[in-house]
Amino acid sequence: MDIGWYLVVSALIFCIGAGGVLTRRNPLVILLCLELMLNAANLALIAFSRMHGNADGQIFALIVMVVAACEVAVGLGLIVAIFRRKLPIDVDELKELQG
Amino acid sequence: MTLSILIWLPLVVAVLGAILGGKVAPKLSLLGSLVTLGIAISFVVRFKSGEEGLQFLTDQSWISTLGISYKLGVDGLNVVLLLLAAFLFALVFVYANLREWERPGLFYFWLGLAETAVLGAFVAQDLILFVAFFDLMLIPFYFLTGMWGNGTREERVRGTQKLVIYTLVGSLLMLVAAIATGVLTAEQHDTRVTFAISALQELPLSKGTQEWIFLCFAAAFLVKMPAFPLHGWLPDGYKAMPLPALGVFSGVLSKVAAYGFLRIVLPVFPDASVHFQELILLIALASILYGSVMAFSAQNVRLVVAFSSVAQMGFITLGIFALNEDGAQGALLQMVNHGLVTVPLFFVVGLLAARAGGSEQIKDLGGIAFRAPVLATLFLIVSLATLAMPGSANFAGEFLILLGVFNAKAAFAFVASIGVALAAVYMLRAFIKSMHNRVSPTVDSREITFGDLGVLVPSVVVILALALYPQFGLEKTEQTTKQTVAQVQAKTGQLTADKTSEEQR
Amino acid sequence: MSTTTWGWLVLAFPLAGTILIGLGHKRLGRGPAGAIGTLAILLAFVSGVASLISLQDHESEHRQLVSSLWDYAVTGSIDARLAILVDPLSVFMMLVITGVSTLIHLYSVSYMKSDRGNARYFAYLNFFVFSMLVLVLAANFFLLIVGWAFVGAASYLLISFWYRRETATKAGIKAFVINVVGDVGLVLGTFFILRHAGTLDFLGTFRAVEEGAFASHHGALVAGCLLLLVGAFAKSAQIPFHTWLPDAMEGPTPVSSLIHAATMVTAGVYLISRMHPLFEHAQAAADVGAIVGCVTLLVAGTIALVQTDIKRVIAYSTMSQIGYMIMGVSAGAYAAGMFHLLTHAFFKALLFMAAGSIIGAMAGAQSLDKMSGFKRSMPFTFGCFVVGGLALSGVPPFSGFFSKDEILAFVGARGDWYVVLYVVGYVGAFLTGIYTWRMIFRAFFNRPSPEAVELEHGHIAHAEFPTNPANGEREDTEVGFPGPEHVIAEREIPMKVAMGLLAVGATVLGALQIPFVTHVIETFLDPVFEDSKYNSVHPSDGLIWFGMILGTVLALTGIAIAHFIWVRKPGTSAAIQARFKAVHTFLWHKWYFDELIDFLIVRPWSAFGGWCRTWFERVVAEGLLVGGATGVVKAGSQAVRALQTGFLRYYAALLLLGGAAVVLYFLIQST
Repeated sequence: MDIGWYLVVSALIFCIGAGGVLTRRNPLVILLCLELMLNAANLALIAFSRMHGNADGQIFALIVMVVAACEVAVGLGLIVAIFRRKLPIDVDELKELQG
Repeated sequence: MTLSILIWLPLVVAVLGAILGGKVAPKLSLLGSLVTLGIAISFVVRFKSGEEGLQFLTDQSWISTLGISYKLGVDGLNVVLLLLAAFLFALVFVYANLREWERPGLFYFWLGLAETAVLGAFVAQDLILFVAFFDLMLIPFYFLTGMWGNGTREERVRGTQKLVIYTLVGSLLMLVAAIATGVLTAEQHDTRVTFAISALQELPLSKGTQEWIFLCFAAAFLVKMPAFPLHGWLPDGYKAMPLPALGVFSGVLSKVAAYGFLRIVLPVFPDASVHFQELILLIALASILYGSVMAFSAQNVRLVVAFSSVAQMGFITLGIFALNEDGAQGALLQMVNHGLVTVPLFFVVGLLAARAGGSEQIKDLGGIAFRAPVLATLFLIVSLATLAMPGSANFAGEFLILLGVFNAKAAFAFVASIGVALAAVYMLRAFIKSMHNRVSPTVDSREITFGDLGVLVPSVVVILALALYPQFGLEKTEQTTKQTVAQVQAKTGQLTADKTSEEQR
Repeated sequence: MSTTTWGWLVLAFPLAGTILIGLGHKRLGRGPAGAIGTLAILLAFVSGVASLISLQDHESEHRQLVSSLWDYAVTGSIDARLAILVDPLSVFMMLVITGVSTLIHLYSVSYMKSDRGNARYFAYLNFFVFSMLVLVLAANFFLLIVGWAFVGAASYLLISFWYRRETATKAGIKAFVINVVGDVGLVLGTFFILRHAGTLDFLGTFRAVEEGAFASHHGALVAGCLLLLVGAFAKSAQIPFHTWLPDAMEGPTPVSSLIHAATMVTAGVYLISRMHPLFEHAQAAADVGAIVGCVTLLVAGTIALVQTDIKRVIAYSTMSQIGYMIMGVSAGAYAAGMFHLLTHAFFKALLFMAAGSIIGAMAGAQSLDKMSGFKRSMPFTFGCFVVGGLALSGVPPFSGFFSKDEILAFVGARGDWYVVLYVVGYVGAFLTGIYTWRMIFRAFFNRPSPEAVELEHGHIAHAEFPTNPANGEREDTEVGFPGPEHVIAEREIPMKVAMGLLAVGATVLGALQIPFVTHVIETFLDPVFEDSKYNSVHPSDGLIWFGMILGTVLALTGIAIAHFIWVRKPGTSAAIQARFKAVHTFLWHKWYFDELIDFLIVRPWSAFGGWCRTWFERVVAEGLLVGGATGVVKAGSQAVRALQTGFLRYYAALLLLGGAAVVLYFLIQST
């Protein structure tokens, strides 16, 4: 198939994820949308890898997955800590780190 | 024994002290500063006066692509200043040891870092290296003033902000100018970029370029000294600084600025120096008069000493920009003299305040000599030295400075001598109002303690020794001063004027 | 030992005295400090005599010996060495200084015996003598200026000796600052001279002047000499730099006797004499010197007529007599000027010492209004006053007569407009007789005051509590204030010895330079002044006789007038005062010099200082410049901080937008 289709799908998923990050207020949902964006990038990588016929893109996609996993672990840990401290689970309310 | 050991030793000791903690840090730092002083003395003893060029040279390439080298060297300009810096820091470490500080490990670390930066600035022979040490000098004082300063938090913050931001603006201008010097020299002479000062001296820039670069350097140095009208940070900054830090700040750091003029500005930008000579002489004159006037109107005894520093640095600048040998020799001698009197003066300010319930306001002081004759005598000796009473080395320095200016532009010498009379007024006024007359109700006069004598007596002894033999400093600096000044004069054809006076001898 | 070694010893003894007393001041009580001090100066005097004898062994052409210890500041255009010059002039000054100082130290042993600051006093006094000796022995301008300033510092320390008195500290700082102005004058004058002479050394400079170094730079020489005169006038309390001298009477009386009669104020006279080669080539400067000396002797004389503080009367008389000396040496009468310096040292020190004695009897009060009739109770003091007074007024055969007349005869012989100075000199002599004997008659004649009556009954008066005689403030007798005991000469042997020796000197020293008969001093000083162009000026015999007779007549007339006004018809002075009220007020306010200087110099600078502190510093330096720089930085940082809102989604949006912008940029660029 034409690589264009895969790229369009990837772009769509990326945009949905980006939209979610920008508009949702719950940090968990933001993390989910972040995953969407990452996976959209993975899709694009694998599509290109298929197009070129070598495994570079796929290996990179694996690395991205590792990074995503780590980042989610840290993010979820933060959210649990916020919950434990009884702070509002709302990204708009958590703005003490300002200049 | 290389110069690198001399300049990095205080930092090493400081780091050790910070690691080992508050109990060990004070004594360890004191020991370190005394060892540094010993090394400095050994350098001075081994120094050969009359020899041309740099001695004890360390020259290694640091960042070769940018032409920055790690070059250290000693010659007539900085040999006595090294000794002065090491001695004053040792005094200040003794002083700091006599008082309690919060978080001592950190306190002594910052002082040690300051010592390293100052010693480095004195021996650096590469322009960027000098600028680096110059900027590094400021950082410890930001913390020292902010964390251990006097006054309310508001006053400390205000003093620190003014001090750091204002000085930093000047320093940044200097950085730009330094980089420009290296780059433009390479461009105009079609060579590789180098920042070694000796190399830059051989390759003068075009007149126009020299002028704006000169102004940037002058801005940085004049703010640091401070000179009128760039002294606005002085009152709040000095009031906020803790006294040991203030001693070295006023005694040593301001000298780096004056030294910078002699080391960098005069040799590397001779045309600009001559072009701006009258402007800088005017600024120096204004500093002398303004500083003296503010000193005798000040209501706070610390500010009397602070503004007297402005006036004294004005004399030093005056001597440097007389652009002849007498003036430059006088300026170098005065740098040493002023440093030697400043630390004991600020220390005495602290002692006076301790005897007046913590207040430094002149109206709260009075009659302290009543039960403290030794303190009174030592304070008097230091005061008389500060006002450059003939017989002190300060007078020898001022005599040379005024002679130099007199031979260059006589009118300036006449106006500057008003400053000499004003110095007598403000210094004696401060002495009399604090030590003599009626015992003020808030005063609890007591004699100086043995520990405090450990700071005052060495300084007074050195002041008296130098007063007996100022030739000690003068002979070491003579050769290099002649060279530095000759370059300025040769490049601008003023050598003829000098030759005529030489023939008449 | 060589002559110059004796010269170094003369310097070494007082310095050793100061250091010893200073370091041991806690342990040395009243007795030892005074003994060490007096001994030190006595040894210095002996060394001075030894150097005199040794000097006279040299031939007359070789009597200017220089000895240098080390290079002090030899660099660039200057060659300052630690060197002394031993020649007849410096030996003369040395002997006067150490001789009179020994007697004053002896006097002080009694006078200051109950003062808590006794050791401090002797340390300072020795330091003063050391400084004065450095001044007269210096072989170059640099060391001269050092000695000059040391003398000023020592004088400050001694004037404000009773430092808990505000009047004393004010007087001290005034003296010091005026002195510094003089120092600055000396320094600037040195620059002018150095520029063309090429050396700081005296002998080298004089040689250069003789060889014509200033031939085409006459203006520089005159300027230099005028500036040197500024220094001389400041130190010797000549107009307009004289306002410190009367205030300096705040110091203990022996201090006034030493510093402000015999030694420090004579430094200006020494300077002009020493620099005579320069002044003779700069006639304008010498003329200024003579005129100022003349004006001073007249003005000071008039002021002394109305002063009521006994020490201030003597102070103004000092100013007047120094005026004679300055006029003399400026006109070229070097030997005469030095002779008057010698005789004046003796009789003026004597007068001050006697004044100290009567002040002791008055329990510290110094006002002539309060003293009277002490003749019977204080015969010795009275005798000293009489001897001193006769010498001062210039009555033969006392010493003052010969020395003053010699100066005036020379000035008269100069001719031209110097005749005016000659006339004024005799007017001054007339006034001298009046004011001196006014003081003596008021204090010793007429009905005895309460204190005198008490003394006749055998004990010295004591005030209820100690007060400051100047402003009446109460004091205690701790450190910084005078001691509890008052002494009079009649009861103290050291004082009697000192005053007695001075009285003898005041009487017989005239024999050294009797006209037509002896010229000991002139011959002695000849090696120094042999190159002077005034050696050919000799007053004619007629002029000398005329002067002597005129001087005697004027002095005796003055004494007679004083006797009439203050003894024969006691109401006369009040009547004169009422009649000439304006003149009296003018003289009482010392010709308003203090007010003038306050108005011209002190007030403007204070106002300027206040303005700088309140307005300029706040508005311009801090507000504009520093505030400006910090303001700009702060505003910049405020602007940047606005980006850190704390909103996560805002950051995310920025990130995405930024990324998109970059991608778009490259996308567009590649097409």
